[in-house]
Amino acid sequence: MKSRTGLILALILPIIILAANAWLHHQQRSSGETVIFPIEGFDPRDLLSGHYLTYRIDYGVAENSDCPVSDIPASLCLSPERRIYPLDELPETCTQFIRGSCDAKAQFISGLERFYIPEQYADVLDAKVRNNQGELVVSVGQSGNAGITDLLIDGRPWKEAVEAAE
Amino acid sequence: MINTKKKLMIWLEQDLISQQQFEAINHYERTHGAQKNSYWWLYSLLILGSAIIGLGVISLIAANWAVIPDTVKLGTAFGSLIALAAGILLAQNKTGSYWYDALITAFIILCLATIGLISQIYHINGYWYHALLLWSAITLPIVFYSRQLFVNFLWVTLFLHAAVWSGVDLSSTTLSGTGDRQLPALFLFASLLAAACYLLTRWNKLHLQSFQNSFYFWFQISGIIALIFIDVIRSGGEMRSYELSWFIPAYISAAVLTGLIIAKPGYHALNKGLLTACIILLLLYYHPFILFDGETRYSFMAADQATSASFWTADDIRAPFLTILILFLYATHAGNIGQYRTFNVITFLIGLRFVILYFQAMGGLAATGVGLILSGLMIIGIAWFWYKSRSRLQQWSEGLHE
Repeated sequence: MKSRTGLILALILPIIILAANAWLHHQQRSSGETVIFPIEGFDPRDLLSGHYLTYRIDYGVAENSDCPVSDIPASLCLSPERRIYPLDELPETCTQFIRGSCDAKAQFISGLERFYIPEQYADVLDAKVRNNQGELVVSVGQSGNAGITDLLIDGRPWKEAVEAAE
Repeated sequence: MINTKKKLMIWLEQDLISQQQFEAINHYERTHGAQKNSYWWLYSLLILGSAIIGLGVISLIAANWAVIPDTVKLGTAFGSLIALAAGILLAQNKTGSYWYDALITAFIILCLATIGLISQIYHINGYWYHALLLWSAITLPIVFYSRQLFVNFLWVTLFLHAAVWSGVDLSSTTLSGTGDRQLPALFLFASLLAAACYLLTRWNKLHLQSFQNSFYFWFQISGIIALIFIDVIRSGGEMRSYELSWFIPAYISAAVLTGLIIAKPGYHALNKGLLTACIILLLLYYHPFILFDGETRYSFMAADQATSASFWTADDIRAPFLTILILFLYATHAGNIGQYRTFNVITFLIGLRFVILYFQAMGGLAATGVGLILSGLMIIGIAWFWYKSRSRLQQWSEGLHE
């Protein structure tokens, strides 16, 4: 069992899986349609958690179109009407959507609620997001998978914004 | 080496070994023992040097993290993985090479770091235990090729953490970041899962023997922690808002474990009965409402007695009784199959629980001089009883199935 071929395969397996994982996310980022959502902090909770920002995404959903119930898989339809549906009730007329879930508070969670940042810019970005200056650039694929492309501060990529602030 | 020589001198004086044997052993220890020692130091210095270089590289990268393009970060990670893989292949044929296992350790750690890097670059919102579970799955094949226990131990440790947290997360819709509400479910599942994995590694057909010691270690540690945790909770009459669904992974694990115990050819009916009884009692101990209702008989330090609960229905009476019963059943099994070290540890814990029970019920006495003398006598008495009865109990348990 412990042959050299086996060892080679055992070494190649994790490299291939990790590379495929990175490639899939890269494809997701580059091939999807770009959508921009405003983000906001939720006081008094600390937005900073280690090396990432946590925030609430404003999906532009009308108040009466929130999650129907809590703790279910759900989809957020973006077009033609922004509305949250239980996963199996998404209408065929919906041409663009994001898969996610409704949490215990019946809020839609898309898995995009975390943005990794270098520690030295944490405080600056924290203040700007708290001040409602932040927007999230998201790439949405046809199958409902979404990935973060960038964080905008006052309409500019966050790197440019923090350089200008320094 | 000095200790070995001293022991050899004593054995020579006692005529346990001849002069010829003394010299032969002494010569062997001087040559092989010293060689082993020098390798140990070499190994430590290599690790230290590599760690310092690694820290320097990490500092440089961290200082320029924002300006390094994502492709360069990923390219460096995958380039390092490929370089380490090549190093492992080169070191494979060198017998006794510490480099081989050091490189495998570095490779599997770098796999974990790469998962973190991908999450960071693509802003993937996930939990640490899911990342660890992915890591456990993709690195399992390479761990089979390691020669030192450390690689297996590292893998088993991280795998158990990932599996336990992921399992409870699956059955619980509101697992908090620290999981403090679900701690009972986490502790129970951890001990049962580690025990089930340990028994699986003892099946020769599965070729998992190299993981046996690591799973056994975690089974013992998590088992004792699980028992102490629930004893403290139940003795205090605390009734947290447990949900039965959190315990589903533990129940599945208990069913698998019981099946493995019953199917194990090396165990007699007695061992199977004892271990199954331990599992059932532990499940009852953790069950949200069957045996415990939050009523206690003794308040803290027995300053005043609560009269609401009768002796047999009080949680702080049932809890130590259950703890001691579980420990006794397991000690009988350990003594019966010849695990003497485990038997000694478990019987010591039984004695310790008796002492704690005494202070729980008679804690008020400790505030007086006479009470302290009585408490001291009680501790010495239990220690003496444990010392005197241990051998007899061990012999009794050994002869049970004969």
